[in-house]
Amino acid sequence: MTVTSMKGTAGQIVSSILVTALLVGSLVAVLEIEDQRALGICVAIIAGLSFLAPKLGILRGAEQAGAHHPWAVRLIILIGFCSLVLILKDNNFALLMIATILIYATVCLGITIQTGYAGLFNFAGAAFLGTGGYTAAMLANATWLPDIVTILLGGVIAAALGTVLILPVLRTRGHYAALTTLAFGVLFNGFLEANEMLGGPQGLKVPGIQIFGWDFSNDLVIGSLSFSFYANYVLLIGAIFALFMIFTRFIERSWIGIWLDAVRLDEIAVSVFGLRISVWKSFAFTAGNFLAGVMGAVYAKMTEFIAPANFTFGDSLLLVAIVLLGGIGNRWGVLVATMIVILLPEKLQFIQEYRLLLFACIIILLLMVRPAGLLARRVRVFEERH
Amino acid sequence: MLGSKGGVWGLAVSGLVLMAAANADGAFAKEKVKIAFVGPLTGSNSQHGIGGRNSAELAVKLKNADPATKYEYELVALDDECKPNVAVQVVTKIASDNSIVVAVPHYCSAAAIATVDIFHRFKLPMVIWAAVLPQITYAKKVPEIHRVSGTLIGQNRVGAQFMKERGYKTFVSFADSTDYGKSMNEYFTKFTNENKNEILGAFAVPPDQQDVSAELTRIKELNPQVIYFGGLTPLGTRVRTQMEKLGITAQLEGNSGIMGDAFISAVGPELAEGTLTFFDSPPLSKMPGGKFFSDNYTKAGYTQSPEAYGPFAFAATNLVMEEIERVGPNRAKITEALGKVKDRPSIIGPITFDDYGQNITPLTTKYVVQDGKWTIWEESEYATGKRKLKNLP
Repeated sequence: MTVTSMKGTAGQIVSSILVTALLVGSLVAVLEIEDQRALGICVAIIAGLSFLAPKLGILRGAEQAGAHHPWAVRLIILIGFCSLVLILKDNNFALLMIATILIYATVCLGITIQTGYAGLFNFAGAAFLGTGGYTAAMLANATWLPDIVTILLGGVIAAALGTVLILPVLRTRGHYAALTTLAFGVLFNGFLEANEMLGGPQGLKVPGIQIFGWDFSNDLVIGSLSFSFYANYVLLIGAIFALFMIFTRFIERSWIGIWLDAVRLDEIAVSVFGLRISVWKSFAFTAGNFLAGVMGAVYAKMTEFIAPANFTFGDSLLLVAIVLLGGIGNRWGVLVATMIVILLPEKLQFIQEYRLLLFACIIILLLMVRPAGLLARRVRVFEERH
Repeated sequence: MLGSKGGVWGLAVSGLVLMAAANADGAFAKEKVKIAFVGPLTGSNSQHGIGGRNSAELAVKLKNADPATKYEYELVALDDECKPNVAVQVVTKIASDNSIVVAVPHYCSAAAIATVDIFHRFKLPMVIWAAVLPQITYAKKVPEIHRVSGTLIGQNRVGAQFMKERGYKTFVSFADSTDYGKSMNEYFTKFTNENKNEILGAFAVPPDQQDVSAELTRIKELNPQVIYFGGLTPLGTRVRTQMEKLGITAQLEGNSGIMGDAFISAVGPELAEGTLTFFDSPPLSKMPGGKFFSDNYTKAGYTQSPEAYGPFAFAATNLVMEEIERVGPNRAKITEALGKVKDRPSIIGPITFDDYGQNITPLTTKYVVQDGKWTIWEESEYATGKRKLKNLP
């Protein structure tokens, strides 16, 4: 055992159960409650609990549990996720929102690798998301291709398209590199609108997912339980999200993560030590774009429609905003921030034309209260292993 | 210290609980029925969306004020931002909410075409209030889909005929590159060719392109008598103002997309003067119940104009409420009842749905801007010859 454990194993496990329960409970409450007043009370309670959790050391406990008992924590999260799907089982809209949250969270994991670890700002996230989506749309006629392959190809093509940007991104620094990606994002949108083969500004229909005879557009039936067809997507997207979450954790905790951190913090010092900056920047950029592309393909297949209006500069900005709000470089912060950024405008529909205004104000307020993001990334602690 | 804090929290919570309880005590004499309205409430088309929302809301208010109704209606208004992915999201929301029995959706065709399948999947009947792309109703027979607004075919037929009668010979088409603009251009081309008039060139730009001076410079070279515009107000505004900058004096022929006060207030009455438009409804003052609508709209205290499609939203909302009164708040029964609507009087003229759910009796009317107002052609000073359209041969 390490000396850093605060409350012992039991305390850590209980903390992680509590945090998972809070996340699942908040999602269910926010998605299921329609009455505005009840919802208001509920959000106040969630905010209160989220404020209390770090004070009571629960958050720290859960974090420790994640570090020392990763499989136990994964099991808890899996149980939490399954109960979430079980509770919302025939609520189409709630499941669609959960799927959307997980999609955006995965894309933002990609941006976390780019921005949070390697220090590359990517203002073209929506373009790579769109690349995946359009890949899926274009491969719709190739029915002999299994959808799993289509989805993976979405990621591969997005990563490949990203290589176009690698040279300018490597040759520029800081704000200028960010500007390069921004220009690319705008170009991409213009290209889509002008391209008749890709459906132009009107967009394209995309068929849903079918994997080995499992048709995602039919209701999911397990035993005597019947789930909304969106449950198919939630399960698939949840699995992909979990996979990429573990992948990101692997990157962060391995020497790759340390090198990426070093590349971000001091390029000159790192090159003095013999690290090839260009290789690691390219790696982070490509890995992030791959994640975006994969999810873009799934997103297009889930909504069954794709149009350039979904991938504007504003959407790219939203992705960066999620990473900033969550706390740059924190994987779990991304999830929490995505929940807020996706659900808040939706829940504000009742104030109609003023909803985006209020949404912006709330985000500004949140960042004023927590300037480093909701869950700031901790400084790396090097532990002695026994 | 902690105690007093807890006390304050306790008070606050109990206060909120009391408020919630107070809200629940009103016993309803009538069963409550929910209707959804979807339109662009934010973004560049929001003026039209808000105008439509207000009109639909007005229809519900007036209905609820009538003691003879069987149900009490509630309008749930949602914002689709004219984006297909947001439209899919909000329509999934209303479609999977069983308390909503019918919807009045969509201003933008791009949003409407993306959601047709969702309405069908969840068997939620709907009546489109504005989107005019023909494929929305005519691509395939979907029992849930209906539309009170005309398709853009009629307005182009009337428009081409009208321009021929004035003696115009040469045209340039300027449309946006969505299916909507493409369809506009297609039917404009079809009817103009049928009338043996000449199209010198066709231009298509994305609806959010800010600078159209490159296209307009080329058009200036072509020197047509008429520029036909097939797009929505934001792009139309840019075309008209940039035409002026480049000194293009061609007559502007618009369509339902720029119909409404938003166009005139955006370009100013001077630039708007003489702009022609063909739109599927006579002015309200000519319609039975039209004055009733505009009087009540003003009385209800709405500050924004209902815009061109406000009356359509009002008529669509009224239509679905009439059907609910007859067959009850049941999705399947409403779908069936809407399919049989024939010669139903409304403020936009009689409504008759064909097999595809399309209203086939739009009263296409010719308009011209005169002194900052859309004026019906026959009553304008242009028709009497007191004022003249541009480039008249």
